[in-house]
Amino acid sequence: MDKIGLFVCTGCEIGKAIDVDALEEAGRDKGAKQFVKHACLCNPEGVALIQKAIDGGEVDAVAIAACSNRAKVAEFSFDRTKTPVERIALREQVVWTHPGGEEDTQMLAADLVRMGVAKVGRMTLPKKLDDTLDDTVLVVGGGLAGLTAANAAAGMGHPVVLVEKGEQLGGYMAGLKDVLPETPPYDRLHSNTVAALVKEVEASKQIKVLTRGTIKSITGQPGMFEVSLEANGVAQSFKAGAIVQATGSRPYDATKLGHLGYGKSPNVLTAQELDAQLGAGALKRPSDGKLPGRVLFVQCAGSRDANHLPYCSSECCATTLRQVAAIHRDHPEIECAVVYKDMRAPGQLEHFYLAVQSKPNSLFARGTIDEVQVKGDGLCARVKDSILGDELQLDADLVVLAVGMCPNSADGEAIRQVRDAKARIAKNESEEQVRQGKETVDKLGHHEGTEILNLVYRQGPDLPVLRYAFPDSHYICFPYETRRTGVYAAGTVRAPMDAAQATEDGFGAAMKAVQCISAAKRSEAVHPRAGDIGVAEFFLQRCTQCKRCTEECPFGTLNEDVKGTPEYNPWRCRRCGICLGSCPERIISFPDYSVDAIATAIKAMEVPDETEEKPRILAFLCENDALPALDEAAARGMKWNPWIRVIPVRCLGAINTVWIADSLSSGVDGVLMLGCKSGDDYQCHYIRGSELCKTRMTNVRETLSRLTLEPERVQIHEIGRNEFARIPEIFDAFAETITSVGPNPYKGF
Amino acid sequence: MASGTALVPSSAARLEIYGRGGEASARCYQCATCSSVCELATEDHTFPRRQMLWTQWGLRDRLAGDPGIWLCHQCNDCTVRCPRDARPGDIMQVARGMAIEELAFPRFVGHLVGRARTTWVLLLGIPFLFWTLLVYLHNGLTPAAGGDWAYAEIVPHWMIYSVYFPTFFVLAGVPALVGASRAWKKWGEGRKRAGSFVTNLIAVLTEIVVHRRFGKCGVGKGRKWGHFFIFWGFILAAVTSGFLVVWLYAYDLELPLFSYRCPGAAGPTCHLPLDNWMKIMGNIGAVSLVLGGVLILINRLSPGQPAGKSMAFDNLLLAVVLLVIATGVGAEVGRLVLNPGVAMWIYIVHLSSVLCLFLSVPYSKFAHMVYRTLALVHERMVTAAKS
Repeated sequence: MDKIGLFVCTGCEIGKAIDVDALEEAGRDKGAKQFVKHACLCNPEGVALIQKAIDGGEVDAVAIAACSNRAKVAEFSFDRTKTPVERIALREQVVWTHPGGEEDTQMLAADLVRMGVAKVGRMTLPKKLDDTLDDTVLVVGGGLAGLTAANAAAGMGHPVVLVEKGEQLGGYMAGLKDVLPETPPYDRLHSNTVAALVKEVEASKQIKVLTRGTIKSITGQPGMFEVSLEANGVAQSFKAGAIVQATGSRPYDATKLGHLGYGKSPNVLTAQELDAQLGAGALKRPSDGKLPGRVLFVQCAGSRDANHLPYCSSECCATTLRQVAAIHRDHPEIECAVVYKDMRAPGQLEHFYLAVQSKPNSLFARGTIDEVQVKGDGLCARVKDSILGDELQLDADLVVLAVGMCPNSADGEAIRQVRDAKARIAKNESEEQVRQGKETVDKLGHHEGTEILNLVYRQGPDLPVLRYAFPDSHYICFPYETRRTGVYAAGTVRAPMDAAQATEDGFGAAMKAVQCISAAKRSEAVHPRAGDIGVAEFFLQRCTQCKRCTEECPFGTLNEDVKGTPEYNPWRCRRCGICLGSCPERIISFPDYSVDAIATAIKAMEVPDETEEKPRILAFLCENDALPALDEAAARGMKWNPWIRVIPVRCLGAINTVWIADSLSSGVDGVLMLGCKSGDDYQCHYIRGSELCKTRMTNVRETLSRLTLEPERVQIHEIGRNEFARIPEIFDAFAETITSVGPNPYKGF
Repeated sequence: MASGTALVPSSAARLEIYGRGGEASARCYQCATCSSVCELATEDHTFPRRQMLWTQWGLRDRLAGDPGIWLCHQCNDCTVRCPRDARPGDIMQVARGMAIEELAFPRFVGHLVGRARTTWVLLLGIPFLFWTLLVYLHNGLTPAAGGDWAYAEIVPHWMIYSVYFPTFFVLAGVPALVGASRAWKKWGEGRKRAGSFVTNLIAVLTEIVVHRRFGKCGVGKGRKWGHFFIFWGFILAAVTSGFLVVWLYAYDLELPLFSYRCPGAAGPTCHLPLDNWMKIMGNIGAVSLVLGGVLILINRLSPGQPAGKSMAFDNLLLAVVLLVIATGVGAEVGRLVLNPGVAMWIYIVHLSSVLCLFLSVPYSKFAHMVYRTLALVHERMVTAAKS
């Protein structure tokens, strides 16, 4: 781009705080051919000014020095396929956060203009993807969530293929007589409507139902998945645009709960076994077929227990309430004692809880039960931790264990590790490799054979799972999203939930699947970079097959050919730039975000020499949380050190280490990186970005030590969107650190 | 408390408590709002949360044997604030009824009064028949009095003394003492008390006469005054009766204050004039009783009043007290405006309702007079032992 136009806004106090005219020189210095200032660039007149310059061919790239790229998005939405645009946040990063009229403030503004102009000059134009894409939504699993998703997608005009492993649709819900209330007054059982939903799905012309189905393989990417499966013994293949995985869950294995009497007495049942009795209308003690006098419900059986399921399945309480209500409807004389650690009745179920509890033969009491003993004909439980302070001894004729939910998921990454290990063993290159391979097979071998989707992806045949085997991707911002673009999880495979939530999940995942297909057709990324049309470009001639990009991509975007060269699937790509950050050869770039563009911006900064006592600090801020937090801090009038220059990045993982080297070698005194929280409860919008950045920077610090540069010069901070008050704290503390460490010795080289 | 033995919950006891009017407690989910809003619960005697728990588990003995239930004045702040409408106040009331029945001596009388819903006819009828019989034996129910007549002409004083003295001091007093000592023993189990009983009793009585604790009630504040006026009305009535006895039997000594002489008579055979201080005192008591009775009735009957749910057991006391008040005032007025043949019947009902009231002291809700006082003393002594 060689006809860069620099448009500077003087509104929002920018014109008062800094000498705007002086910015012209800074811009022209970095290649701006046009300099225009306007009192309110975002009003129709200002926007028209820019549009006219673009349309007239006067400029082929635009740098807008005004407000943050998060503000006035609609106003400055020029066609990016024709003109690259860079936003320079003079308002947030200069005038709102620094005193007007001062030399340091003016220098900061000039630097940001230089960097922005230099960067936009190195941007290229994105090329729109074009291919024939399929509208079909593949729904895997015919339970409540799957049925709902299939129905919803069909309702939105999409063809649907619904694959069910079993012989019939309906899933677990099909066996229930009563369900929890979902409409006011929420205080009584409702009759089960799943059968009607099954009929509706089966009758739909849009939906093709395949029972007794197993998926053999899924290749391709959103909009063009190739699905091969076998259903009722017949092999078939078809195309699909997106996938909803609603494979449900199974109850926790009660045979591990011998201490609660399971397996020791036939009169200890799981909630699911009681459901079978209630569904058949045959409540009884299995030992003698008689009606029980007292039924004891043990909540959290094997849940919230470090030795079993550490988590709460959130719906077992509601299941118990449903069962107590059903028992009391048919046999009001039976006493139902429910011993719970905590009772959960989310949403409107509180009304139901109250109604069930109000019955004279309900006994809801807090406590824990460590052991259920067989006592003659009956059972006996010892209740501890009741608020009474004493232990209680509770006899019962029937004990029902409210066990938790385990997702029917497959750990794609583990299966892939086993497969890789087996390949290494077969190759037999070295004893050590074979030994390690065998170790992996021993540890993870049991995952093989659990495949569900059979994705032909380098990173494994199924969705990667997180803790407790639930597939997930940043559940706070993107529910239903998984780490495989175009594949959406719904229902109890995604998280433990009740029927109402599973229904909501079915709708949500169907809408996401449909949204994904339409985004793919527009050649756009799905969230969080929704609408981004730029895809990665690989300069494969220089690829060394190091496989870092294929390994580190959180979304399985890249496959490998036999030599290990990456094969890019643009519709799987979320444009996070983690591959760009990973590549030691720096051959991966995006049209508006490349190693070269950022490196050029870094070099465009003016670094005063040592004698001026004006240190320079570069701060890479993640666009997802850190940058919005900075904007918020600015809007609240917080102030910070003027030595800091901010470069927004797509993710901490999208920082190539060469930028750190470039900064330090050009005399920058310190480099800050602000991104989302990493770890088990990560907040990273691309799951692994901030974690990868941390690992990479450990290596950078080692390099620094070798260069006799203090490791304190490079710091990473994790920050949440709500922690805007920490922005000035972090900036000022780092500036102090740099003052105490002293100037970068490489300054001026 | 980690002990080897464990409590065994009883469904029968739970259902019994529900049947006595505590069924709302099934709704309790132990949030402790009730205990935190209660102004009367103390560190050692927390309520009503634990009573709700005892109820749900059917731990009858704990519930009935708890001194805490007596510290409760039935303000119903808890019931009003309960987020689940579990009515903790009702449980406290039911618990006291159960405690009275359990501590009663002899126990069968306790059960008889405890089941007032069916036995109230007996409880009121027997004293009435008793008095009717006595008067019949004395004058065949045909009073010969005339002119400025006196009730003593229908029912002689000796008859009154010989009925009420043994009734009050023996038939009511002994069981009350037995009940009190049972309670005192039970509450003391595993608890240390310190200080003098008498000193603490005096302190408690000083609190009671001004209704200090009752005044702490929030939503049920209005109930304080009804109780206050009836309480003082009865005290004035009792004291006046005492003074009258002095006047009657020390007539010849011509004591100061008691120097009123009946005109034209050798002994105290006339009525005291309305402006005599003893008459004034008695009438203030009567006014106070009427006022208290009206206040309590208004409280009970007006909608939205948080008086708690009333069971037959609770209503019995109220009915008897109101009957005593109504017939007492009625008899006084009746002497002036009615002929003796009619006024006699008001008087007989009055005498029999007073008899019923006296007899039921250890067994009816009236027993709170004994147990609450005792529990307040107990609580002071336990607190003293801790500090």
